[in-house]
Amino acid sequence: MTRKYIQKSILCLGLLAAVSCTDNFESINSNPQGSTAESLTQDFNNITGYSKVMFNYVFEQDPLWGYQIQQNLQGDIWSGYMATSNPFNTNNNNMTYNLVNGWNGRAWEDAYTFVMSNALKIKQATKDKGVFPELYAMSQILKIEAMHRVTDIYGPIVFSKYSSEASVKEYDSQEEVYNQMFAELDEAITILSNSADKGVATILTNADFSSYAGKYDKWTKFGNSLRLRLAIRIAVKNPALAKTQAEKSFNQKYSVMTTQSDTFIFKSNFVNPVYGNSNEYQDVNMSADMESILGGYNDPRMDAYFDFSVKYPGQYKGIRTGIDLPVAPEGYSKSLRKDFSKVGKAVNKKETIFLSAAEVYFLRAEGALRGWDMGGDAQTLYEEGIKTSFVQNGLAAGAYLSSTLLPKDYVDPVDSVNNSAAVNSVTVVWDAGASNEVKLQKIITQKWIAGFPDGQEAWSEQRRTGYPKLFPVVKNTSNGVISTQFGVRRVNFVASEIAGNSGGVATGVAKLNGPDNGATRLWWDTGVNF
Amino acid sequence: MKKIFLIFMIVFTAQVSLAQVKNIKGVITDSDGMPLPGATVAVQGGQKGTVTDFDGVFTIDAQKGQTLVFTYVGLETQNIAVGDATTVNVQLKTAISNALNEVVVTSLGVKKSKKSLTYATQELKGEELVRVKDANVINTIAGKIAGVAVTKSAGGTGGSTKVVIRGNSSITNSQPLYVIDGIPLFNGSPTQPNGTFGDTNGGNRDGGDVISLVNPDDYDSMTVLKGAAASVLYGSQGANGVILLSSKKGKEGKGNLVASSVTTFETAAYLPKFQTEYNSKGDKEDTVDHVKDFFETGVTQITSLGFSTGSSVASTNVSYANTNSSGIMPGNSLKKNNFGVRQTAKFFDDRLTVSADGKYTSQTINNRPLSGLNFNPLTGVYLMPRGNGNNFSYYKDNFEVFDPIRNLNAQNFPVINEYVQNPYWLINRAKSEDKNNYFNGSLAVDYKVNNWLNIASRYSYDRVESIFDKKIYATTSDVIAAKTGTYINIANLSTQRYGDLIAKINTKFSDDFSFNAIVGASINNTMANAQTVLNSGTTNGGLVNTNWFTLGNFKNNNLNQQVAGSNREIQSVFASTTFGYRGMLYLDVTGRNDWSSTLVNTDKLSFFYPSVGLTGIISEMTTMPDWINFGKVRASYAEVGNDIAAFVTSPRYTILGGQFVAPAVGPRPGESLKPELKSEFEVGTEWRMFDNRLGFEVSIYSSETKNQYVQVPAPSTNPFGYTNYAFNAASITNKGIELVLTGKIIKGDKFSWDTTINYSQNKNKVKELPEELGGRVVLTDPGSNAYRFSLVEGRPFGVIEAFTLIKDAQGRIVLNDLGKPQVDQNFKEVGNANPDFMLGWSNSFKLGSFFANVLVDGRFGGNVMSMTQALNDSYGVSKAFGDAKNAGGVTVNAVKSDGVTPVTKISAEDYYGTVGGRSGALSEYVYKATNVSLRELSIGYTFNPKSLPFVQTASVSLIARNLFFIYKDAPFDPNVALSTGQGLQGIDIFGLPTTRSIGLNLNVTF
Repeated sequence: MTRKYIQKSILCLGLLAAVSCTDNFESINSNPQGSTAESLTQDFNNITGYSKVMFNYVFEQDPLWGYQIQQNLQGDIWSGYMATSNPFNTNNNNMTYNLVNGWNGRAWEDAYTFVMSNALKIKQATKDKGVFPELYAMSQILKIEAMHRVTDIYGPIVFSKYSSEASVKEYDSQEEVYNQMFAELDEAITILSNSADKGVATILTNADFSSYAGKYDKWTKFGNSLRLRLAIRIAVKNPALAKTQAEKSFNQKYSVMTTQSDTFIFKSNFVNPVYGNSNEYQDVNMSADMESILGGYNDPRMDAYFDFSVKYPGQYKGIRTGIDLPVAPEGYSKSLRKDFSKVGKAVNKKETIFLSAAEVYFLRAEGALRGWDMGGDAQTLYEEGIKTSFVQNGLAAGAYLSSTLLPKDYVDPVDSVNNSAAVNSVTVVWDAGASNEVKLQKIITQKWIAGFPDGQEAWSEQRRTGYPKLFPVVKNTSNGVISTQFGVRRVNFVASEIAGNSGGVATGVAKLNGPDNGATRLWWDTGVNF
Repeated sequence: MKKIFLIFMIVFTAQVSLAQVKNIKGVITDSDGMPLPGATVAVQGGQKGTVTDFDGVFTIDAQKGQTLVFTYVGLETQNIAVGDATTVNVQLKTAISNALNEVVVTSLGVKKSKKSLTYATQELKGEELVRVKDANVINTIAGKIAGVAVTKSAGGTGGSTKVVIRGNSSITNSQPLYVIDGIPLFNGSPTQPNGTFGDTNGGNRDGGDVISLVNPDDYDSMTVLKGAAASVLYGSQGANGVILLSSKKGKEGKGNLVASSVTTFETAAYLPKFQTEYNSKGDKEDTVDHVKDFFETGVTQITSLGFSTGSSVASTNVSYANTNSSGIMPGNSLKKNNFGVRQTAKFFDDRLTVSADGKYTSQTINNRPLSGLNFNPLTGVYLMPRGNGNNFSYYKDNFEVFDPIRNLNAQNFPVINEYVQNPYWLINRAKSEDKNNYFNGSLAVDYKVNNWLNIASRYSYDRVESIFDKKIYATTSDVIAAKTGTYINIANLSTQRYGDLIAKINTKFSDDFSFNAIVGASINNTMANAQTVLNSGTTNGGLVNTNWFTLGNFKNNNLNQQVAGSNREIQSVFASTTFGYRGMLYLDVTGRNDWSSTLVNTDKLSFFYPSVGLTGIISEMTTMPDWINFGKVRASYAEVGNDIAAFVTSPRYTILGGQFVAPAVGPRPGESLKPELKSEFEVGTEWRMFDNRLGFEVSIYSSETKNQYVQVPAPSTNPFGYTNYAFNAASITNKGIELVLTGKIIKGDKFSWDTTINYSQNKNKVKELPEELGGRVVLTDPGSNAYRFSLVEGRPFGVIEAFTLIKDAQGRIVLNDLGKPQVDQNFKEVGNANPDFMLGWSNSFKLGSFFANVLVDGRFGGNVMSMTQALNDSYGVSKAFGDAKNAGGVTVNAVKSDGVTPVTKISAEDYYGTVGGRSGALSEYVYKATNVSLRELSIGYTFNPKSLPFVQTASVSLIARNLFFIYKDAPFDPNVALSTGQGLQGIDIFGLPTTRSIGLNLNVTF
């Protein structure tokens, strides 16, 4: 090598570089560890490599702090699932409604850097070349699974114009995003359903890191179930479209998830990041809301979701969100409450659930309540949802279905100023005579319990329906921007976009119908349920 | 290109000599025996004349009986009658002025007479580099050269150094090029910190640079080429100035052995101030200030041996140096060995000179000091909760206690999190080792074709290996280490292969006109920072068997990878000519064309840049009063191109842990990248007067670097998955003045006092930052902390931005409902990191056999920030916090949330709990960077060699560095930076306290 180089050098020098010796510049200027297009086509590597990244970033799997600021200190808190003992930023943070821009851009950046860009790469390797339609369809479903979460955080997002190289990237309104997602799901479901019909061997195996092992019929079910979730979200905003999309999903040949084996589980290389954030970082614990509801119901799932408090052995103890945590003089002291209940065995595994069969029953229950054709009445579907959730946790529902226990009051053993009477008053048992509002509260409360730990989805539904009711923050540092009554309705547009795509952000703000802050309601957030 | 061939055609055309007389040759030297290039030799009364070449060698044809006249401007003319000898060596004595006979080393190692230069250079003799020796030779130039800012890293002994000449001019790199004997040195660093938390993979560490690995005793002199005109021949690498080092060469007929031994003792100077009256609960309790006892007295011993000998055809130098150092931080030590061999030989009647040079350095550093919060022992030392039975010395002796549940020794400290851990645990159970091996080998041949033409070629190979090894035991904070322990081993390799071919022409058109030129080509291929990273990871990785640190024991492969740093090849052709007229007027014209591999896939692979300069020696042109010995004016204009970052124009996916990783950076769509272009205009004047006892040199320059290579976060919505876009934008201007004043204030046989004042002022400005970037490029991302370092349109290079306190129109702090101050989390400019001007004042005294040297170094203007102080305050350990508690709170000018009720006191907890901390109002922690220090002091005695057997010279001296500050505002040394890169400037985040060193220097020549 060196000898060859010297010979070449001498030759070049001898010619005084009059003759071009720059032929190898391209190879010098290429990262020697980098990939080349040719090296990647075998075994669909040029597709599976990208899909693996997409899987890993719907819920950012690694590093832990990535998930922490993607979702754990946002949706997981605002949904009422978890709370923190850490007075981040001297208590001026998401928990007290002073939104931390340094954290809140992560969900956006993960979605675009790792999901959208790789979905585009897959599209270029499949649809654009007219090959491997099933891989394309799978990538579209994954993309929508990730991106509906993003629009549900920020509202208007870059979606239809993503592949544009223009310097100003326009945002779509949330309505436009939902419409496009419905259209793309239709396309993907049709492709997968047709291939499932043919009974041909799957080509998804290497690209599918879920429990589905690449089965076309299962992916079709996932597509239908996801479409149902989106339909329910707009049930009040656009009832006609919602009904159409929901019924189309349920009545599609492969229909929606019905058994625990249909639940979409991402088989990760990493333990669910919620676990590490709670048990290794010790930054999140059980919330007061969980303690009130699960504790009040004496819910057997408590044992799966949370551990006993180390500080109060034999007890489940939650932290109320938005309290004045002690700061000075100990700086980062979280010692007073960090040994409250931590998140437990349900998440101590290398699995992340993207969408569960239990949730689908609750979606159908709400649809039935609204008079849609969901293949059953609201009560049956509600109870099936609870049962499926119990199965998911290795439990049997039994007498729980007829429980009349109520959520309990919250007591903060450290500081009684944070004590509160219970804010929810629905029981588990179905009451056919109750109002639709109460029935909906029951459905959503049970969906909330079943959906743990996906706080992002739970937060979206909490905003949409107002259920379950959450303990209000004690300390509000938003300077009057975000009300204690209504809480955080969205996250403001991210700093990296304002810096690098300010023209695009302006189009987003224009489609927001309100100021770009955490108090503005999203398109589907109507504030009413019927 | 045609022109270059034309010159070569002329060069190779044989010269026809019709003389029938004998050929006389010889060497003309000055009174010190240094060869004089460009001296004139003529036959009296005849037409024939010649000039000496670069080595002072001449040949002339003359007949016996004729008289040869040897002249050199500024030296006494000598006449010698031609006898039978064919060799005539002449030593010309110093005439009235000595400004004219100085020879300086310029670009490509070419020696030129200093008076002919059209640009500013400043030289340091070898003794300046070793008088108050530092393990890193570059640290010794601080304050000695006008316009050069030297900033040490906080990495302690063996750390790298940031040198900026004439202000920061580039967003990506402002470090100068180091050149040893005409050959560029690869001076990369494996890693420099650029985060405020500290790298989670082993902490914020300074990977060291290459110049810190050279042996200061190997060099005779250092020349700094400050402006673009001076360094244009080095092309892009020299755009930020060039520092030339010249090796010591064996002198003919003298074999000698030089031995020197330096021992210095370092102590921590300027620690933060702590309170001892309150415990961690804020209750009154007398506590102990344990911080000062944590630091130890560091000892550095540098022993160096140099052997040299020479004959008329060959010379040999062999050197060895050993550095042994223990730092002020417990557990920190350094061992360094330098070996050097240099051999020069002449062949074929002295026409061919071949030199070979080999250097090897090995260095091992244990526990190199870190900055930032992660893994840094200092956070635990400073922030340990006070009182409540917490006793630092107990935790020193019991940093681990046996844990029967895990059957291992577990870390023991009142607080264990990613920022605060037991410092002795980190020192002993999260040990790091840095190894550096540096090899440089070079070969040079120089062939003298005829009187006026030399052809030279050089080849050099640099190889730097750096290995970082860190073994982190289980029970280190879970956030930055796995439960079973974490192992990190990073092997970093850089190489540089440089070759050139140069023709040197030195002739006269007539008695009045001289001409010399260099025409050449070079090729430079660097592979920087190719890394093999083994990292067992933290929470999601770790070791299978606890605390067994080897690759086979890794839980997974997620973070192991090979990383390519940057590869590039630059091919160049260049030419430089100097026309001289009667030794009073000189015109320089140079041009260079580079082809860079980094520009592949852009519109143009190559870029050309010229320079032109003119010098007039006024004292030769006109008759000056007697008291003026020398006067010169000069002006130059130069452009230098600078290529772009490697790999950017050929983006490729990489893979980590089996997962695709999109290219981190790619060109912004719709644009073709192009090289940066620096243009600089400089005028200067030099004067010597009063029998050369007073001299001054003034340079005024103005430079602009356009088409800056900017890497900015790409909006994540870009369709390529890039994290950053690269494009050309922005320009940075630097305008400044440099003044060097030298005086021999007292000149006597018994007592003498020489003084030099270096003054420089530089104003820089960032311009033309594109609007879509909001007029800002962030150099150091804040993360969730409150410090950011940015380039801002219309502001000087490097603005410190921070969170501020919310105040009303009257400047009163507006409190919230809870009566606490409120932090505005929008970043605002709170200071800038650039000095307004710098002043160095060096003095040397001689009294009989005693000598003394004093260097006072001052930096005026600019700001620094202390996040250390902010954290000390928020943790309630600082003196400020204690004082506030004693005073019943912090006195403020504040107003309640109603906007009406004034508040004058806020409790220490409420105030520092909000304002302090890493994400508080860091605007309250900005200080003036202005400082004046007694940088160097040496007092010594030179022995009379006659009284000592076998010894030629001997001296002993007491030396001190950073003895004290005459003035300082900041709670730390503002001349120390956390990074020697472009980011993380003007901030202290638990950096190693600066050291004061005092020692003894012994030099003996046998």
